[in-house]
Amino acid sequence: MSNIIKWIVFVVVLYALQTSFFPLMSYHGISPDFMLLLTTSYAFLRGPEQGAMMGFATGMLKDLAMGSFLGMHAFTHLLLGYLCGRLANRVFKEQFFLPVFASLAVTAANYFILALLMVLLGYRFNPVSNVQYMLLPMLTYQLAFAYPVHYLTYNMDKKMRTQETN
Amino acid sequence: MSNRVRKDKDAGSKAWIMVFVTISLFCIIFFAARGRFQAPVSSQAVSLVLSPFQQAVSWVSNEFRFVTSNIWEIATLHEQNKMLRSEVEQLRAINVQANEAMSENERLRAMVGYKQSAHQFDTVAARVIGRESDTWSSMIVIDRGTGSGIQNDMPVVTPAGLVGRVVEAGLNSSKVQLILDPRSSVGTIVQRAESRVTGIVRGDVSNPTMPQMVNIPKNADVVEGDVIVTSGFGGIFPKGIVVGLVSSLQNDAGGLLKIGVLETAVDFQKLEDVMVITASREAPPEPIQPPPQTPGTETDPKAQAEGQKK
Repeated sequence: MSNIIKWIVFVVVLYALQTSFFPLMSYHGISPDFMLLLTTSYAFLRGPEQGAMMGFATGMLKDLAMGSFLGMHAFTHLLLGYLCGRLANRVFKEQFFLPVFASLAVTAANYFILALLMVLLGYRFNPVSNVQYMLLPMLTYQLAFAYPVHYLTYNMDKKMRTQETN
Repeated sequence: MSNRVRKDKDAGSKAWIMVFVTISLFCIIFFAARGRFQAPVSSQAVSLVLSPFQQAVSWVSNEFRFVTSNIWEIATLHEQNKMLRSEVEQLRAINVQANEAMSENERLRAMVGYKQSAHQFDTVAARVIGRESDTWSSMIVIDRGTGSGIQNDMPVVTPAGLVGRVVEAGLNSSKVQLILDPRSSVGTIVQRAESRVTGIVRGDVSNPTMPQMVNIPKNADVVEGDVIVTSGFGGIFPKGIVVGLVSSLQNDAGGLLKIGVLETAVDFQKLEDVMVITASREAPPEPIQPPPQTPGTETDPKAQAEGQKK
């Protein structure tokens, strides 16, 4: 099985878990966003171009699979994947601290870009209650699940690289 | 030197591709939100690939939920029993009143010859197999599609009340837009007989669990605790499905209208099984009975006697 297919299966299984199992433990409809965590980890491991591509793929998957605002997540994930990838050259791949804590900043940035897009689309909302209901629970979930997702992505990436070199 | 130039050229072209993709996505977002751009084929292809995975994971999570909820119920059995006993007492009293009101209603309907307004629904039961994790939009995926007779714009309900409508019916799964989604709008009416104020229920981005009833005139008779049901205007949702009850009232920013914040009848946190209304029609009218006549003044004593036998 080629590496791309393995990555596709990994993304699909992770997304199925995100949408079908983790809503069981959702708080006000918020549950962890594995696609964003995966994009962050992948971008830290593979650099800006591949990070942007993974961001585009995971974002588009979210948009198409659930019927939310088309293109929105693809746009934010692409940008954030690219930006995380830019930082990747300055970080050791074995370093887990930065990708895990960067996922918090990425989640917050994702939230603010989406909020800005919603305002541009004409939706008005109370920013204080919105932060309280959406961002804070989301940050808590992301912090809890950033390490396991990064660990999985790191091991998957390591396996793929050894296969590529052999 | 030449390597450096090539590297710079590569970096430049990649940056241009990045800018092009970003701008294209930005345009897609706005065109799609205005309904001028859709990707039904790719969306259905993604759903087709994803739904077996979602069904498998959802089956596991349902089993997990079943086990944990059983353990919890056994642990709280005594307390639940006490609560249910007191509820039964209250409901018995309400039932007597309701029976009285129903018989009065039937008599009054017969007096004014009012048309029977009850509806019958053909429904298809479906299981929720997927749900979004963020709440800028509120969508779920159900395990029934066009193969089970599901089509776009069909209303989705539970015995408790309204859930939403089908926005994209795939082959073996469908996407349902919940009433919590900011893009959703439902024509509604206050159920209370003295009020009957109409309004539109929309999802609220600020508080994704509580939709808002908007367009209520400031002096309208709407109070906290009022039950809100669908009005049947708009043609998608049949009349009389419970949407929720008014939890609080706020003034609109313009000052002329007020907004009712609703507590939904359906618990969206625990949404497992739903029903899709595939057809709704008025219930067939009661067979016509000859009116009762005063003894001794019957116009047709034979027919009267037959009617009484029936």
